[in-house]
Amino acid sequence: MNYFKQVITVTRWEFMRFFKPKNEALGIGIMLMVSVIFYFGGRYAFSESGEKPRLTVFRNLDSKLTERLSLDFELTKVPAEQKSSVISEIGKSKEGILLVKDSTTFTIHAYKYTRVQKKLRSILDEFNRTQAMQSIGISEADLAYILSPAVISESFIYTDNSKSRVILAYAFAALMIMAVFLSFAYQFTAITGEKQLKITEQIVSAISPQVWMDGKIFGITLTGLSSMFTYSMLGIIGGILFFQFTDVPASAILEYLYLPSILVYLPFALTGILIWNALLAAIASVITDPNNSGKSALMMLPLLFVLSSFLVVRDPDSGLSVFLSWFPLTSATSMPMRWAITEVAAWQIAGSFLILVATFYLLRKLAAKIFRVSILISGKEPSSSEIFKLSKES
Amino acid sequence: MCKKNMEKSLDRSILKVSSLSKSFMNLQAVNDISFSLEKGDIFAFLGPNGAGKTTTLRILLDIIKADSGRIEWNLNGESNSLPPAGHIGYLPEERGLYLDIPVIRSLVYLASIRGMEPSAARIAAMQWLERLELADRSKEKLQALSKGNQQKIQFIASILHKPAFAILDEPFSGLDPLNQEKFIEYIKEINKQGTTILLSAHQMSLVEKIANKVFLINRGQEVYNGSLAGIYEAFGKKHIIDLLFKSPVTESIFNTLSGLESVNQVSDCQVQLTFGQQTDLNKVLAELSGFEGISNITSHKPDLHEIFLQLVKTHRK
Repeated sequence: MNYFKQVITVTRWEFMRFFKPKNEALGIGIMLMVSVIFYFGGRYAFSESGEKPRLTVFRNLDSKLTERLSLDFELTKVPAEQKSSVISEIGKSKEGILLVKDSTTFTIHAYKYTRVQKKLRSILDEFNRTQAMQSIGISEADLAYILSPAVISESFIYTDNSKSRVILAYAFAALMIMAVFLSFAYQFTAITGEKQLKITEQIVSAISPQVWMDGKIFGITLTGLSSMFTYSMLGIIGGILFFQFTDVPASAILEYLYLPSILVYLPFALTGILIWNALLAAIASVITDPNNSGKSALMMLPLLFVLSSFLVVRDPDSGLSVFLSWFPLTSATSMPMRWAITEVAAWQIAGSFLILVATFYLLRKLAAKIFRVSILISGKEPSSSEIFKLSKES
Repeated sequence: MCKKNMEKSLDRSILKVSSLSKSFMNLQAVNDISFSLEKGDIFAFLGPNGAGKTTTLRILLDIIKADSGRIEWNLNGESNSLPPAGHIGYLPEERGLYLDIPVIRSLVYLASIRGMEPSAARIAAMQWLERLELADRSKEKLQALSKGNQQKIQFIASILHKPAFAILDEPFSGLDPLNQEKFIEYIKEINKQGTTILLSAHQMSLVEKIANKVFLINRGQEVYNGSLAGIYEAFGKKHIIDLLFKSPVTESIFNTLSGLESVNQVSDCQVQLTFGQQTDLNKVLAELSGFEGISNITSHKPDLHEIFLQLVKTHRK
């Protein structure tokens, strides 16, 4: 049985172990349900009840303010002497508000904080602003004119869709973060689980550690890619729905889906996920007890590198961004992000990609070597120097 | 003529191990051992716990590397230092299968990575499951099965692809006596069908029913290497007498018996006496008639278990 046939067998096995369409559909269903609950729950929580809240003011309150307040509140006017009895009544009934104005200060008496007070505050702010404008002789129309924003028309030389490209770049990074999380979870479960279940010995008597490692890397990468694809589709559908609600034509989503950027992103993302899987597999293979291992934290290392790609959005042409787009542990995300939002020469893209591929090739070799020496170690976890020493001996 | 015979003998050898050594830190796990297996052998690789058996098997399978020595596999007509995986079946001492995956899927996968077509593996797996009365549980996850049934699945996984050479490390572990006997028959059967077996087990009574060759290892060193008949020939000619007393006895009272080599106090009231092969048993029995309180007396030749204990004890000294 040749290498490729064996790798395909292991890849298919690892993919099928973790790719569970039923669970994926269930996850998406739960996510949609939670979104719907949040959306409608939120709308309900912040909706008006229809009944005006009760507000008590003193008879001597400014007539304009009283008139304004009556639009939103069920207003009761009482003499100032009844202040304490009104406060006492609020305490007993646990509802209602008393608004008192002493010279320049408003005092709100209520049983507890509610959203009604927020509304009252905004009316008082508005009233206060109008009073201030009148005192210095500015009309409301004049003030609106002063505060109006500048009329700006944007024209970009690189692309007219710079803003949507930034969104696309963020989407690239978000998808990569998701892939890294999934790889982390699956590689960790797969390798530490197999070590604990003592499956490794059975398997490596049939295939070489390199075949097994490659199969795992490819299989779990495929699982990650399938999730990335599912959630990308969901994101696109979500975007179309969002536009529908905001009266933007559904076709506007195409502004965000810049095909050349996506075509550059795909091979970079694929190689990047393969690299992370190789690294995560190497780390997982030295962990003997996942519950008590100090090395488990190392599994989060890839996330640090992927998150650093966000720096590219800040200034895609800076020296740091250029470095991130070449450095193989960050380039998988940084180069497509850079290319989405700024001009990058084709030779840079090709060079960065070649380094990425070479890094993957070497890392998978290293991962298999570490896996080979760590495979039968149980009990005390080997230190880095022990692994290095054993690797040289094997 | 002698040369021709030697060549013929070498041709039949499908595994030849020469001067194999392996140490871990300061422990010499395997120390200069050599042995060979011919096609059709059932080779019992025996030794106490920690003797170096599993280390040797792992070296044979290239799971770990030897410090020195030579391994020559000749399973597929070509001489090779690495085991040809597709021709080898392995039942590891430390059991391990995917617990959360249906039995049939695990079996098909394990046969597939050894080169068997999945469709053929599925058919063969179902046939074996049928024989081992587990066909109706083929779609269940392994974790739902008892320890003994899991062992049956592990056994199927090691021989499903009809290997030319099977390494069975503790195949009887976890099985009840009935299933142990069944396994004996299965091992004999696959051996008849052309699979050479290297067997490591602690159940000597079972081993002596099937093995034709024995290798005894202790503290990494060879203690015996030869045929099963040879080990009886060399060490099985002694006489063992088991005595049961009505009341407790001490070892020292037997020191006066002629030809006595050793006394094994089995319990307060039970002893096992070993005599040299030249000992006149009639004389011994006459001497024993002078002992009071004997309620039962039996005599037999040492079995493999007793030879094993004797050789290991002697080697330790």
